[in-house]
Amino acid sequence: MRVSEIDMFSPSSVEECLYFLRDQDRPSRILAGGTDAVVRMKDGAWLPDIWININQLNALRYIRLENNGIHIGPLTSHTDIVKSELLQEKADVLVGASKEVGAIQLQNMGTIGGNLGTASPAGDTIPALFVLDAQIELSSFNEKRVVPINEFFTGPGKTLQKQDEMITNIIIHPQAANEIGIFEKLGPRKAQSISIVNVAISLKMGSNPRECLDGKIAFGSVGPTIIRSKKCEKMLSLGPLDDIAIQDISGAAWKEVMPISDVRASAKYRRSMASALLERGLYRLMKRWDER
Amino acid sequence: MKKIHFKVNGEELSVTCPPAKTLLDVLRDEFDLTGSKECCGKGECGSCTVLIDGKSVCSCLVLAGQAENASITTVEGVGLIGKMDVLQEAFSDEGATQCGYCTPGFIVSARAFLDSIDYIPTDDEIKTALGGNLCRCTGYTKIIKAVQTAARKQYATEETVV
Repeated sequence: MRVSEIDMFSPSSVEECLYFLRDQDRPSRILAGGTDAVVRMKDGAWLPDIWININQLNALRYIRLENNGIHIGPLTSHTDIVKSELLQEKADVLVGASKEVGAIQLQNMGTIGGNLGTASPAGDTIPALFVLDAQIELSSFNEKRVVPINEFFTGPGKTLQKQDEMITNIIIHPQAANEIGIFEKLGPRKAQSISIVNVAISLKMGSNPRECLDGKIAFGSVGPTIIRSKKCEKMLSLGPLDDIAIQDISGAAWKEVMPISDVRASAKYRRSMASALLERGLYRLMKRWDER
Repeated sequence: MKKIHFKVNGEELSVTCPPAKTLLDVLRDEFDLTGSKECCGKGECGSCTVLIDGKSVCSCLVLAGQAENASITTVEGVGLIGKMDVLQEAFSDEGATQCGYCTPGFIVSARAFLDSIDYIPTDDEIKTALGGNLCRCTGYTKIIKAVQTAARKQYATEETVV
């Protein structure tokens, strides 16, 4: 299949898209913003017979607060997330992650659903969605199911999403007043870069100084999918998060990650940087918490 | 092959082409708008930046079929010789070009940035806004200065108009 031979179908509604997915027997792929997909098409990795272009499905572009959490439409762009006042207040870690996706040009075009569907281990919004307990709604023509994000990814580029399904909603847990989060990323340059290591941290703080009741830490780009650092998470609530505690916790991180060496960095460097980013993130969070 | 309709720089245009052809190739090959450049081809350098419905995007990563019925502004739509935009004048006055290959992308990104604010931006704000554009002659100092000069000029003119 050559690029010039690839066909395109642009459904005008979600129903039409699901109907098409059910009956399509040619190799097809869903195309959202295209910021990853087009690069892969040019590399020859993704050459479907037909692109299902959903870029114009504005019904899948929303951010709203509902009873069971914040609902984010899969076609919500990173720019939409960065500008959302609701998310700035209730999901600072996701706003932080979306800000780090590429530069303005890619944030304008790239979508959160596309980031999930591509399932790159380096996808920036994914660790943030992990610490916000995201639930992913997958729809097919006949059925709808909701999958917790920790079950959604099965390997690099692989997810539970079936050929006849598409992501139709992302539900996250809104942060309470005592919950704070941060996203830290190391890339080869400040803007527009693919993560070498990234980490999302979300902490639930207590009433005593620097008392942490519970927390979640998710590393990206250091394993086949996102890695929740359970050991470090347990250490968060052992005592006040002073400088020594922060150093101990981040010191334990290198054992938790399983990086590979690739064109962007060596495994050894990634391990050290995973610790360094966690330390920096926790320092910054504590500084913000002290100054609130 | 598909017939695809766009609005490019205010003009209604149609083209019959493979839907997976990139918007950049359509602009250059079909519409002869060769201001937008292809450099990295994967969204890292920003040389191909155009505005789709007012938002800056890398046109090398947008497929023609995805931009159907969209309003597209290229560097030619920002301004041309004889009727240059303040940004283009400022880039010229400040000497903010060297080889010139990245310049159209910078002009388009900077236009979108200045359209989104109403003050003279700081160096850091410009660096963030133009972070997706690379200049391999590394003439960033003058580019940043040119954007500030343009902002100053733009607001001076706007105030006189008011």
